[in-house]
Amino acid sequence: MSVTTNVADKLMTLPESSAVALQIRAEHYFDAIRGILDNFAIKKELDSIYITSTIPSQSIINALQVLEVDMSNIFFVDCISQIMMSTSSKHEHTIYVESPTMLENLMLKVEYLTKRTQGRNDIVILDSINSLAIHNNTKILSEFLHLLVNNLRAKKAYTVIFSMEEYRSEDISNMLNIVVDETIIAAGE
Amino acid sequence: MAPKVNLSTSVRERCVTGIQGLDNALDGGIPRGNTILVTGSCGTGKTTLSLEFLVHGALDDETCLFISVTESSEKLLNNIIPYDFFEESLIKKGKLIFVDMPVVYEKLGLDKLEFQLEEVDVLVRAIADIVKEMDVKRLVIDSITSVCYRLRTQEKIRDFILKIGATLSSLGCTSILVSEISPVEERYSLFGVEEAIADGIIFMGNLERRGDLLRTLQVVKMRGTQHSRTKYVLDLTSAGVLLVPLLKGGSVAGG
Ligand SMILES: Nc1ncnc2c1ncn2[C@@H]1O[C@H](COP(=O)(O)OP(=O)(O)OP(=O)(O)O)[C@@H](O)[C@H]1O
Ligand SMILES: [Mg+2]
Repeated sequence: MSVTTNVADKLMTLPESSAVALQIRAEHYFDAIRGILDNFAIKKELDSIYITSTIPSQSIINALQVLEVDMSNIFFVDCISQIMMSTSSKHEHTIYVESPTMLENLMLKVEYLTKRTQGRNDIVILDSINSLAIHNNTKILSEFLHLLVNNLRAKKAYTVIFSMEEYRSEDISNMLNIVVDETIIAAGE
Repeated sequence: MAPKVNLSTSVRERCVTGIQGLDNALDGGIPRGNTILVTGSCGTGKTTLSLEFLVHGALDDETCLFISVTESSEKLLNNIIPYDFFEESLIKKGKLIFVDMPVVYEKLGLDKLEFQLEEVDVLVRAIADIVKEMDVKRLVIDSITSVCYRLRTQEKIRDFILKIGATLSSLGCTSILVSEISPVEERYSLFGVEEAIADGIIFMGNLERRGDLLRTLQVVKMRGTQHSRTKYVLDLTSAGVLLVPLLKGGSVAGG
């Protein structure tokens, strides 16, 4: 089974309001994204809100376009492009936050997008806990995760938090264990 | 039979601001009839928040009045048209009314740069008449500081705010007085008396945290309700003002 179907199948078994950690290896990164957005969210008719602090949203959008994924219900909150001074043109489905340290603003933009897309359920993807941990200390990041996940649960939204296998640490595992219902390991043959 | 336990204090009717985060912080909204100060330095979102308060009232079929002292109504309208929830019919139906204060001054023949006590009375009565005549339920004066400049003395400012507060309250009108302060000020109003007399204070500011500038809002005082005293971070969006609690990061210094 491919990583794409594996991830999607595992998500399909979850009830709404679930929050999960998705443990992935760098080589499976785009397969996992495709599994969540194309094979899971689109089938379940969810609006996807993708928070990226790892690579610029434009890179993900480019990859999705190559895969011919329907972008109409996928939105991005991008807090990495501005500090990387990436000059790429602004995409209409992306909201930019100045820096990955503005965690409150990330929550506010997610709140804004969930308000704008009322009527359909949402899935919020946080990519990734590891890159946020580079810019924030553990205490503030835990507080952020706790608030974000609880707000999203109240909205019956799914939350998927990326955790990169290559950057595992005890701090990160502890942080995730407090807020998520389970950890999914993205695997393929 | 055991008496029922009621943990809530006697509940005063609320004027629901329609700004969800703020209504939560206020435990349901501004107690009806309160006259409150929305205060902060320039560009912190005072006008935006006040306008949204009125638009929600108008959508709820309440007559809402914005008395503008510093900006033209036309400029203000441009601020609210982008709102997802704004309807132009609110203005046509007379639910959302804009009045320019200079026009009021002119009609009343108040052309002096400094008002005397009698002129304060004339001004309060004129505003009360508009509120009564149109059955205004929500009022914003933006800004009260510009009016205070014409009053000059603390005594006259106290007199003005006390009288306007009492009059509006008796008419069941919930009011926001916008107050401007400089960013370094230690108090919530320019003349110091406004903050003591007002029924509530909502403070809007900027917070610098390790190089990031965040917009903040804090309910400092609100008579008639148990309110949150937490500092919130806010965002001005086409879906209105959004609030989330400021993250503390486990340390006071934010380190
Ligand atoms: N919907 C919106 N989306 C994004 N930015 C906005 C929105 N509404 C207002 N702003 C911005 O927020 C800033 C503050 O607005 P506002 O005029 O409400 O502040 P203020 O406290 O009344 O300022 P002043 O003291 O100058 O009167 C303005 O610079 C404006 O450009
Ligand atoms: Mg203003």
